[in-house]
Amino acid sequence: MTEPLLKVEQLRKSFGAHDVLRGIDLAVKRGDVTCIVGPSGSGKSTLLRCLNHLETPTKGVVFLNGVPVGVRWKGNRLYQMSFNELARQRQRMGMVFQAFNLFPHKTVLENVTEAPILVRRIKRKAAEVEAMDLLERVGMAERANYYPPQLSGGQQQRAAIARSLAMKPDLMLFDEPTSALDPELVGEVLAVMRQLADDGMTMVVVTHEMGFARDVADHLVFMDGGVIIEEGAPADLLTHPHHERTKAFLSRVLNTV
Amino acid sequence: MKQPPLLQPSIHEVRPLPVPKIWHWIGGAILTLLAMGFVQVLVTNDNMQWGVVAKYLFSAQILSGLGMTLMLTVLAMVLGLAIGIILAIMRLSSSRVFQTTSWGWIWFFRGIPPLVQMIFWYNLALLLPQISIGIPFGPKLASWDTNLLITPFSAAIMGLAFTESAYAAEMIRAGIQAVSSGQTEAAATLGLTRGQTLRRVILPQALRIVIPPIGNDTISMLKFTSLVSVLALPDLLYSAQMVYARTYQTVPLLIVATIWYLVLTTVLTLLEHALEHRLKAEHQKSLAKTRSWFRPRFFGSGQRAY
Ligand SMILES: Nc1ncnc2c1ncn2[C@@H]1O[C@H](COP(=O)(O)OP(=O)(O)OP(=O)(O)O)[C@@H](O)[C@H]1O
Ligand SMILES: [Mg+2]
Repeated sequence: MTEPLLKVEQLRKSFGAHDVLRGIDLAVKRGDVTCIVGPSGSGKSTLLRCLNHLETPTKGVVFLNGVPVGVRWKGNRLYQMSFNELARQRQRMGMVFQAFNLFPHKTVLENVTEAPILVRRIKRKAAEVEAMDLLERVGMAERANYYPPQLSGGQQQRAAIARSLAMKPDLMLFDEPTSALDPELVGEVLAVMRQLADDGMTMVVVTHEMGFARDVADHLVFMDGGVIIEEGAPADLLTHPHHERTKAFLSRVLNTV
Repeated sequence: MKQPPLLQPSIHEVRPLPVPKIWHWIGGAILTLLAMGFVQVLVTNDNMQWGVVAKYLFSAQILSGLGMTLMLTVLAMVLGLAIGIILAIMRLSSSRVFQTTSWGWIWFFRGIPPLVQMIFWYNLALLLPQISIGIPFGPKLASWDTNLLITPFSAAIMGLAFTESAYAAEMIRAGIQAVSSGQTEAAATLGLTRGQTLRRVILPQALRIVIPPIGNDTISMLKFTSLVSVLALPDLLYSAQMVYARTYQTVPLLIVATIWYLVLTTVLTLLEHALEHRLKAEHQKSLAKTRSWFRPRFFGSGQRAY
């Protein structure tokens, strides 16, 4: 068996006295789509944000390609990475946010070319060619010169996906990418994500869209109370959940959808 | 029941007359009288010496004073804003040392009147005859005579710019804090360094927010520059003073200075309004477009907003 692209070992995170993550172990295979579901407050966003060290874990390690994230050995001492060292690792993991977080003072095209020019240090012309390619893929090429506030939520989220892809990440993290959208706009974003999965991108998706989880995920993770309660192939987990808490959660979300 | 008088028209056909605004008329009359009195003083009082005003309004000495006033305003604002940005960043950094330094600077320079500062800077040589670069208590690398470094101009710029930096720092800090943390996080996930995030993402947005108060400060600064006359620096006011010290035409020359100050502040006010108007138009356009996605985010399922 090959080394997983992303590996999480014994991850814990507390905010003050509040233990939000209480020992998470998880492996993500290259090319797989992993969906994380669970009730509100169960720690899904916190887990995702620990993967790229937007939150520093209290304990435990995240490995990307077998290399620990955010820390580094020097002889036999372990050091925290500086922000700028960490930045180099973070660009390997794209992230798409619930609130899009596009840069409002830049056009869609500039949003996409910004990081390649500054971080990958490619020429503006080359960055623009790549960016238009990506915007084509997410169906936003005609809106390349719009500013984010002039776009619908679905368009903004698709632009945000293109912006992340421009760094050619090994892995894409999605934190409820459709939760802030009007219902009629959810489909267009999910379609882009499906396409991305078909193209072989490794993805970790926190979502409430059970339909997407069922159809697209290779691996489904159910979290509650800061731990993984149950995980497995979506078909199994959705039809034959073992744990009471999984059953209760599924009956709640599947009935209301 | 009593019938209405026949002469009364139908209530549907007439428009009600407005309530008489008697106080507007009385107040207007009083103010008009006062204004006429004022104009009479301006026009008929020989002490105004409008001929002298006209003679000096565009004289070389006054115009060069005007140039000095403008230069002081621009330089002090640019320097003050630059220091203000650094102070704001230090204030928001996680380092206690930076925070405290910034806090101390702001406390100090906001607390001292710029006039006192200017006189103090100008007399710095009394305190430090030599200014040296080197290690405190250790060897000196270079040193200068303070009296050569401190001219009326540099003393004036320091007094004005340091005061401005303290005010600007607080405004810019508020502007930076108003930019959502999601922006920093998005930049971080793209692999931008701290400096890149600040320069390319945070500051452009923060400065847009503080443009209106900075415009206001610029107008104040223009007027504060008149303090430099205590250092005998030939700005607009001091140039006028130099003329009337020679000719004793005090009032007309003060009027010359007043006219130019009013012209400059009017121009700046118009500029500021135009800029604010543009920003507001942009803002409203973006609000109208974003309303549909702000609603579910803030009033939706009670999720933590990023
Ligand atoms: N920065 C923080 N400081 C303090 N508490 C936090 C912080 N971030 C998250 N929490 C707490 O951690 C818990 C888990 O939050 P998290 O956002 O990870 O949940 P979630 O599973 O993503 O929920 P949702 O489905 O509502 O997004 C919550 O109780 C939350 O209040
Ligand atoms: Mg969440």
